Amino acid sequence: MPRILSIWLPQLPLDRLTRQGDTRLSGAFAVIAEEGNAWRLVHANDAALAAGVKAGQSLADARAICPDLLTEPSDPVREDLLLRALWRWADGLSPRVALDPPDGLLLDITGCAHLFGGEVEMGHEALTRLSDLQIQTQIGIADTKGAAQALARFGAREVSVAQPGQTADALAALPVAALALPDKMVSELARAGLTTIGHLYQQKSAELARRFGLRLTRQLGAASGVEPDPVTPKAADPTYAARMTLPEPIGFLEDLENVLQRLAAQICGRLENDQRGARRFQLTVRCVDTGDHHMGIGFARPCSDPEAVLRQFSHPLSKLEIEYGADWFRLSAEHIEPIRLKQGSFGEDAKRADQRLILIETLGNRLGFDHIRIFHPRDNHVPEHEFEQIEAAGASPVWQAAPRPRPIRLFTPPEFAQVEQPGRPPLNFKWRRMSFTTDRAHGPERITPRWYREDDPRTRDYWRVQTQEGRRLWLLTYPGDETEDWYVAGEFP
Amino acid sequence: MRQVKMRQAELQNLIPLGAILHRPKALDLGAGVQLRRGRTHEVTGAGADMFAVLAAAAHEQSLLWIGLHRDIATLNPVGLQANLKVEQMILVEAVSRGELLWAADQALRAPGGFCVILDMPDTLSLKESRRLQLAAEQGGGIGLILLRGPANTTAAQTRWDCQPVCAEQPAWDWICLKGKNGETGRWHMTGKGPQKRGQNAKDTLHMATAASA
Repeated sequence: MPRILSIWLPQLPLDRLTRQGDTRLSGAFAVIAEEGNAWRLVHANDAALAAGVKAGQSLADARAICPDLLTEPSDPVREDLLLRALWRWADGLSPRVALDPPDGLLLDITGCAHLFGGEVEMGHEALTRLSDLQIQTQIGIADTKGAAQALARFGAREVSVAQPGQTADALAALPVAALALPDKMVSELARAGLTTIGHLYQQKSAELARRFGLRLTRQLGAASGVEPDPVTPKAADPTYAARMTLPEPIGFLEDLENVLQRLAAQICGRLENDQRGARRFQLTVRCVDTGDHHMGIGFARPCSDPEAVLRQFSHPLSKLEIEYGADWFRLSAEHIEPIRLKQGSFGEDAKRADQRLILIETLGNRLGFDHIRIFHPRDNHVPEHEFEQIEAAGASPVWQAAPRPRPIRLFTPPEFAQVEQPGRPPLNFKWRRMSFTTDRAHGPERITPRWYREDDPRTRDYWRVQTQEGRRLWLLTYPGDETEDWYVAGEFP
Repeated sequence: MRQVKMRQAELQNLIPLGAILHRPKALDLGAGVQLRRGRTHEVTGAGADMFAVLAAAAHEQSLLWIGLHRDIATLNPVGLQANLKVEQMILVEAVSRGELLWAADQALRAPGGFCVILDMPDTLSLKESRRLQLAAEQGGGIGLILLRGPANTTAAQTRWDCQPVCAEQPAWDWICLKGKNGETGRWHMTGKGPQKRGQNAKDTLHMATAASA
């Protein structure tokens, strides 16, 4: 018989802020989230609850009830990170841990409880450990996942245990909402007079299914162990990081590079064993006098080569100013991606692609990856929107040829040309303090921007103008305008 | 004194691209315009862009276009696609003169023989030019430096002045002002007019030259 322990973290967003040392939590405080068009309270602390505020209220109502209420928008990403950290932490209780998002963990504790002196003791142990971490918890232990979750969320005590084989009895007193049913079904059940799970036992399951749907009977069956509902544990993502502490501080560049080489070899070895690579590496150097210095490098593709890590770090390391030496180092790999094994650098093309990526990395790490770009086609006919520049790192270059003759230089916004002798296009004009005389012109090419999207919806007439001075310019005018202004939109080769 | 040579070449008897493979040192822009690989070349004038584009097309490898924001942002791939393989282009936007020179140095030095076009807003000193030249020799690629300012005494292999010319077809005057091996001259290049769809880099090398003083 499996035994499942469910950890419920009812106030996870508040606990996260408490752990950060947020002083606002001493008064009435709530975490809010935007639902539809309204801000609603998601979690409120004890002081706020005592003032009459409830979770689920709109922010305006809550402010009216409790004018001193302080709020903070919820941050699902950080909350998820905290939950994932706890997922790794739960390894200490049981080797089989599953996430139960957004606010819970499920542990398969079959055969583990005796190590803590029993199930109740194990529950209290987990509770103590979590309260040391300033996290509020409720724990339920039962034969099935559904029952453990129900006991954790609706149990009377902090640690509610259903003895083996007595799951149904333990659940009987709990309200039907404990079966994780939708609110609508709960109210329908209440209208039929079925408020506790015990009431459901007295009904025929066929009747229940006919009236409330199969979902209700399935949940009930899963909670009472009639239908299988196993915990599928998944190990937390491994962290690829290594640190080194030295008895004496070091300061020479070659010593630093030796340390980095050892750390990189260790991390890259692990990455390579798992057939993974990292897109970013973060190095922290703790100096004895000036504290932590953080350095980061990026790669254009997942990398597990310690030589490449060293090469890219050589520039930031050489910039590091160390006076009294550093004695603590940590290198961590981030943005882990699987590496597809391919025959490396065998053909000429693969070698060239490698060299190209290495160059992108070298340039990107100094100039910033957003400054190394490639062209990417866009589905648009307006000249300046036919393409865009995207980051070269991580993008695969594609280009679809557009069929139009276009200048090789395009000026956005177009540059004003002063008309000396009018005409269509002007016979004589000045641009960039140079005088031009039109020799031949070809046009107009009329382009109407997409009026529903573009900022400038004016129709444009473009002319290809060969000037007597030699330059081939792309002149632009807006035919609807009162002023017949001319602009230079581009230059042909 | 500038030595002016007159050269003529027909549309048909241009050197095929295969010939470049046998003589890896020189890059052939057609009509006898030769650019040595592993060197930097300076280009000035209003037609400098096209000269660089044609050289990059003949180089047939990854191309890095390094420049300040104003130069990089005006490049139009829809116009360049007639001559270049746009998917092989990498744009490097530097924010200062120091970054420009550093990026060009790294790109030229990198193994793989990249074609590096450096959009220089002003001019190069002898020291800077010499460093780029050494980097190009190490990497084996080719460096094209588009100088917007005056050209000084520099270490580049050749210096070109390129101007567009008013003619029926797109045409340019290319004047080689300086060549380390004495290869100066003057060329009048004529394009074939607007490119048709689907033409790739090779076709635009078919330029006819006509005698010009």
